[in-house]
Amino acid sequence: MSGKPLQESTDFIRVCKVSDLPDPGRRVFEVGERFVVLFHVGGRFWALDDCCTHDDGPLGEGRLDGFVIECPRHGAKFDVRSGRVLAMPATRDIPAHQVKVDGDEVYIKLSEQ
Amino acid sequence: MSGTLTESGFTRTALANWLQTRQEPDWLRRARCEALDAYERLSWPDRKQEEWMRTDIRGFRIEEFGIPEPADADFALPPALLTAGVELGGRDIVVNSMPVRSELDSHWARQGVLFGSLDRLLPDHEELLRPHLGRAVRGDIDKFAALQAAFWSGGTLLYVPRGVVIDRPLHIFSAIAPGGVDLGRTLVVLEEGAEATLLAETAAGDDAAGGLHCGAIELLVGPQARLRYVNLQNWGKGVWHFAHQKAMVDRGGSLQWTIGALGSRLAKVNQHVALVGDGAEVQVNGAMFTEGRQHLSYHTLQHHQAASCRSDLLYKGALQDKSRIVWRGMIHVDRAAQKTDGYQRDDNLVLSDTARADSIPGLEILADDVRCTHGATIGRVDDELIFYCLTRGLTRKEASRMIVAGFFQQVFDRITIPSVREALGEAIGRRVREYQ
Repeated sequence: MSGKPLQESTDFIRVCKVSDLPDPGRRVFEVGERFVVLFHVGGRFWALDDCCTHDDGPLGEGRLDGFVIECPRHGAKFDVRSGRVLAMPATRDIPAHQVKVDGDEVYIKLSEQ
Repeated sequence: MSGTLTESGFTRTALANWLQTRQEPDWLRRARCEALDAYERLSWPDRKQEEWMRTDIRGFRIEEFGIPEPADADFALPPALLTAGVELGGRDIVVNSMPVRSELDSHWARQGVLFGSLDRLLPDHEELLRPHLGRAVRGDIDKFAALQAAFWSGGTLLYVPRGVVIDRPLHIFSAIAPGGVDLGRTLVVLEEGAEATLLAETAAGDDAAGGLHCGAIELLVGPQARLRYVNLQNWGKGVWHFAHQKAMVDRGGSLQWTIGALGSRLAKVNQHVALVGDGAEVQVNGAMFTEGRQHLSYHTLQHHQAASCRSDLLYKGALQDKSRIVWRGMIHVDRAAQKTDGYQRDDNLVLSDTARADSIPGLEILADDVRCTHGATIGRVDDELIFYCLTRGLTRKEASRMIVAGFFQQVFDRITIPSVREALGEAIGRRVREYQ
């Protein structure tokens, strides 16, 4: 039942179909033991931790403007393609994860960050 | 995992079926049913609530757990940490919320002391215990408190009659087998002038396996009574730990409450001390160490309800890897609590670039003749300290351990029980790796 060990995933994990996520759009998935927000923008996919580095805000609930996601709590902004922080009050990048599209399937591989 | 769930989840049907297997007084059955009503009525915590903003429990699935089942027969009890070299006056051992063994020196039993499984002692002492059970931790505080009040089992009782002084520590040891559930409730009642020392610790059979603890601790310290209570949370790194813990200290009573928090995957604890009688004194000590992706969230409240009381809280936490500690502390002084002396401090030592501590002290003062101070620090290890240690021939790892030990020394110095100081120091020291 609840005996999942705490360890990082080293494999790509299927999360959804390409057609499940509109472009532009975003959706939060539980991958391993982490919550990851998957972005679909300009025909490509990216994935970041669903956790603002400023105050743990739920990034996936923020406003998406082009390649920029804004944390709904305090307005920190991040580049969805890299997790790079773009605007205060956050000062640290968000861990980004690898995304692979195979046919109509989207996969995420967690980074070690 | 240990045991197989006969019925998953904490449902009305599950409670009804379970109660049929238990011999409990009607008033307790009613209290459980009222708590279940609250459990069904209350929502799960929302990340928009201040208390839960920094504690993400989306990965917690209550449907994976249910009423505790016995551990497998081959489950081996892990070693206790707090009792090395200690001559105990009694002990209570619990596995998966099931009483395993209780002992109390006959010297104290003859004086009317009750110590052992709350489950087992309650039917014979229900009139004595009824006014106390649920007095400090109510079942409608939040979803977890309601779950606890409805389904608690096992647990430990310490009752010390008026004027009885227990001069040897008592020990509570609670373990969870892999995948197990602990819904223990601790009730401590010290009547007027009584004294006791209680060492409580938790452990898991497998450091990585999952499990759930949803607990409650009620410490009721009577007038002029003195309680030393140590609570070491040392579950395995896959265990979800949710707890409401509250002490009520009456006129002239004193409590020294020491918390060690080392284990669990995620812990959310509300520790509340209420100074309800004039001249009550409380000292709270906290030592926390996190590693991996552990997340410990402790919320403390020092509630001064009466005049001329003193509360003194010192928490210290060290974090490595990608772990996280959240501490929110509040001193609340009622209008009637003149001449209050309140203090709270939380220090954090961050041992890696990817660990994070949040420390949020607070004061709410309604009286006008008080002294209340608070402080919080979060910092890294000074590179010069490491360098100095290296020049003296220490390895980087030895230097890191020495600096962490020094950081905790201030809180260890306040702990008056040598075995507890040593156990906490050793347990933390073993976890420290090279500072990065």
